[in-house]
Amino acid sequence: MDDLLQEFLAETTESLAVLDVELVRFERETSDVTILSNIFRLMHTIKGTCGFLGLPRLGAVAHAGENILGKFRDGELDVTPRAVTLILKAIDRIRTLLAEMESTGAEPAGSDAELIAEIDALAGGEAPVHEPDAAPVEDHAPSFGDGGFPVAAELLAEVAEAIIQQSDIPSPAAKPEPVPAAPAAVPAPESASPAPQSETKEPATTASSIRVNVDVIENLMTLISELVLTRNQLMQTQRVQKDNEFKVPLQRLSHITSDLQDGVTRMRMQPIGNAWNKLPRIVRDLAVATGKKIELSMQGAETELDRQVLEMIKDPLTHMVRNSADHGIEDGARRLAAGKPETGTIALNAYHESGHIFIRIADDGRGLDVERIRQKAIANGLATEAAIAGMNEQQILQFIFRPGFSTAEKVTSVSGRGVGMDVVRTNIERIGGTIELNSVAGRGTTFLIKIPLTLAIVSALIVEAAGQRFAIPQLNVVELVGVSNHSEVRIETINTSPVLRLRDRLLPLVSLRGALGLEASGTGHDRFVVVAQMGAHTFGIIVDRVFDTEEIVVKPVAPILRGTRFYVGNTILGDGSVIMILDPSGLSGAAGQIESADAESSQDRRASSDGLGGDQASFLLFRTGGGELKAIPLELVSRIESLEAATIENVGGRHVVQYRNHLVPLVPFDPAHHWKDDGRQDTLVFSDNGRSMGLVVDEVVDIVRDRMAIELSSARPGLLGSAIIAGKAVDVVDIGHFLTQAFTDWFEVVAQHKSLRHALLVDDSPFFRNLVTPLLASDNWKVATATDGVEALKLREDGRQFDVIISDIEMPNMDGLALAGAIRNDPRWGEVPLIALSSHAGDDDIQAGHEAGFDEYVAKSDQMHLPENLARALRQVAARGQNRAELRRAS
Amino acid sequence: MNNKPLCLVVDDSRVIRRVAMDIISSLGLRTAEAEHGLAAVEFCGTTVPDFVLLDWNMPEMDGITCLRSLRAMDLNPRPIVVMCTTENGLAKIREALEAGADEYIMKPYDRDVLLDKLVQVGLVERA
Repeated sequence: MDDLLQEFLAETTESLAVLDVELVRFERETSDVTILSNIFRLMHTIKGTCGFLGLPRLGAVAHAGENILGKFRDGELDVTPRAVTLILKAIDRIRTLLAEMESTGAEPAGSDAELIAEIDALAGGEAPVHEPDAAPVEDHAPSFGDGGFPVAAELLAEVAEAIIQQSDIPSPAAKPEPVPAAPAAVPAPESASPAPQSETKEPATTASSIRVNVDVIENLMTLISELVLTRNQLMQTQRVQKDNEFKVPLQRLSHITSDLQDGVTRMRMQPIGNAWNKLPRIVRDLAVATGKKIELSMQGAETELDRQVLEMIKDPLTHMVRNSADHGIEDGARRLAAGKPETGTIALNAYHESGHIFIRIADDGRGLDVERIRQKAIANGLATEAAIAGMNEQQILQFIFRPGFSTAEKVTSVSGRGVGMDVVRTNIERIGGTIELNSVAGRGTTFLIKIPLTLAIVSALIVEAAGQRFAIPQLNVVELVGVSNHSEVRIETINTSPVLRLRDRLLPLVSLRGALGLEASGTGHDRFVVVAQMGAHTFGIIVDRVFDTEEIVVKPVAPILRGTRFYVGNTILGDGSVIMILDPSGLSGAAGQIESADAESSQDRRASSDGLGGDQASFLLFRTGGGELKAIPLELVSRIESLEAATIENVGGRHVVQYRNHLVPLVPFDPAHHWKDDGRQDTLVFSDNGRSMGLVVDEVVDIVRDRMAIELSSARPGLLGSAIIAGKAVDVVDIGHFLTQAFTDWFEVVAQHKSLRHALLVDDSPFFRNLVTPLLASDNWKVATATDGVEALKLREDGRQFDVIISDIEMPNMDGLALAGAIRNDPRWGEVPLIALSSHAGDDDIQAGHEAGFDEYVAKSDQMHLPENLARALRQVAARGQNRAELRRAS
Repeated sequence: MNNKPLCLVVDDSRVIRRVAMDIISSLGLRTAEAEHGLAAVEFCGTTVPDFVLLDWNMPEMDGITCLRSLRAMDLNPRPIVVMCTTENGLAKIREALEAGADEYIMKPYDRDVLLDKLVQVGLVERA
């Protein structure tokens, strides 16, 4: 039944789109009988179909519309704009009802009596059409002429039942047991079986086109892409092997594959006219509302482009046509005064050229007012007066694409504010398109949009970082710059952000390794900067190597990676390796932002990280081992499993469970945990580096979102401290403690994977030692700890070397300031960067810290941001160390 | 093997065609479809159906024109044509019958109404 409703929704929506266009045409050519009868028929069909499906509300609206159309046809009623507006209103109502039906699956309740009364009043005092009463139930006599609606649901149920009975093959919908006695007229299954479904539909005459679910085509496209890649692989192998018996069939395979690819690509194509359908109606409404006369001409509506691209340009196009009609075209009097025809023209033109689609939107209106744009740009702070003085007209016009710019003198109901040309440009650029603008005062404005035919296959630059390859869409790549510490062009650091001085311009950079959390960047190497452009923002991406450009097939990014902003998809290269495609817009956000236009946003970001609000995090609350509720940041938890107690095995005194052919060790939160023999056991699974462990808990309670502020530290191993989360006092669990219980070398393994760096953490509070150690470990530091300055200096006597020392200030025996002095006055650790970690972070404290020899000062009080503050301090001392080393080299 | 009567459903609405064809095939008959009069005429040029359920208002060629064309084709065996219409004016019905329709049926119809018609024209025996 749903299926049929779906079909109805699709069919009616199509009819409505045609109705919109035809009605606008009809209004202009009221004498054209063909258009009118076409309109009448469409409305009539909608009404008729509603009757079949038992949709009285929809049917009544359609009937009222049909009624007026009938009067037009019979010459009983003049075609006035008011009448057409009413019919358009009826169409809109039908559309609204359809939308609701689409989401709810049923005709919404409510009444359209008002609209119908209005229409009927226009139709000339005709008696209003009554909404039909309740459907005539159980009345199976032929219901001629009563205008009633049959009990469609009942009818369809019967049909469906009959079909199930008749069918030989048990359909999934068929009930397993025989269907109860069928209505008398239904033939027994035996007699029906010789006429299978396929045969009954065989002689269809309408098979010249069929409707196919978009998913099917998308899926096909993906498969074809796989095929193309496999073909490429085979061809590569073939080239190496020279002549053999595979050569000829391979060539044929290659040709067929190419044809197949073409074919499927064509299947995804839709005429751009589909995106234009709404426009005549919009322009018509606008013209009526503003009292202008506007002619919309559309050429090249049959130009085809990828449906995905089509979806993306629909709204920008609508917006621009609206703009032209509202702001571009002058009113009739002003046009006549300017010596132009009273009727303004908006011309849409679409055509193919060199693998791109061009769409031109031209109006013969007043053109853009350069002077006003200039003033506005200055008023809105988009540019200084001096800067604008040096710009030509074309450059000034470009300001309309900047965020926060609107030329509309008054906010009209049509264009409104909010959506501006900046959004239009962003949307077009998102699909790899460009938009050009040309405007002549008094003569009109022309926009030229250039967009790629398809998004499925793009040209991409293949680069490498930390031994992994990535693809960057070629569309965004402006140039490549080779950098090394010895060359003229090199990477500098401003406020901890890497930048590149390129032709007297500072280019913000983002390190691909850094952004993606790959191995820390090697400093001495020659590297490359890929200069990329995303909208108005140009930035550089630091990569290790650059290969060449390749045509790649874009596959959507897996759902699990959708949360990351750095990837747009993945692809398979000719050699069969799978690589990720980078999203330049995501990376541009990570690049240090220097440009004034972006200063605001980086300020916002600072405000939010400093503000009291802080970032919220999700916490998993669970109960175990008595006492308070326990909490753990949800993002640390890989899975929550409810294990069958019977599947838990005891191996050598340790509890394990088998999971995908691996043994996963289970650690109870409560050492005195009583292992159940039956029932289920809630377990939180943590994974890292391909290893997993399960933390056994009594009961998972809830997941809540809140800020974490640890109020009380805990001396108990396994707990970081207490916090108030969602209004409840909870114990925050130190998962590091349990990870090391499961695998004594958990963090060591992590460290071995990456380059080892050594940190010394000096703090008398076990809580902070437990908090900071995993933080550092997760950032591939190997951490040694000491409880005070004396213990720290003992390590120096032992000859230990560290890359960084992080120390508390207030400690027994020897405090942090004394420790710093002792470190700086001895060559062995003299150069090691020192970071203070203190709960006292007043200006005086920080001053004292710096005087004692600390390089950076991190406040303990802001626990939520401790990780990033610490990371920033570490980056800073690393950068400084690099500079120091360079200075030494230079001297 | 295909001795079951073939019914051609002519209607410009996919939904209505589907409803009608579902009913007809549930009665054990074979079905075919055409989206307008012209397609129906073309279809009959190659395959002669036993029964045509013909809508009135359609693009390309409306039902009454289609009916006249079908009758002019002098098909053998002569298909039974039932006109559907929501327009219940007597004039319309008379026009259809004069053009050679065997029966007419009011839209919206349901299974029982259609069954009645099919029994009336002798394609289905009422069990």
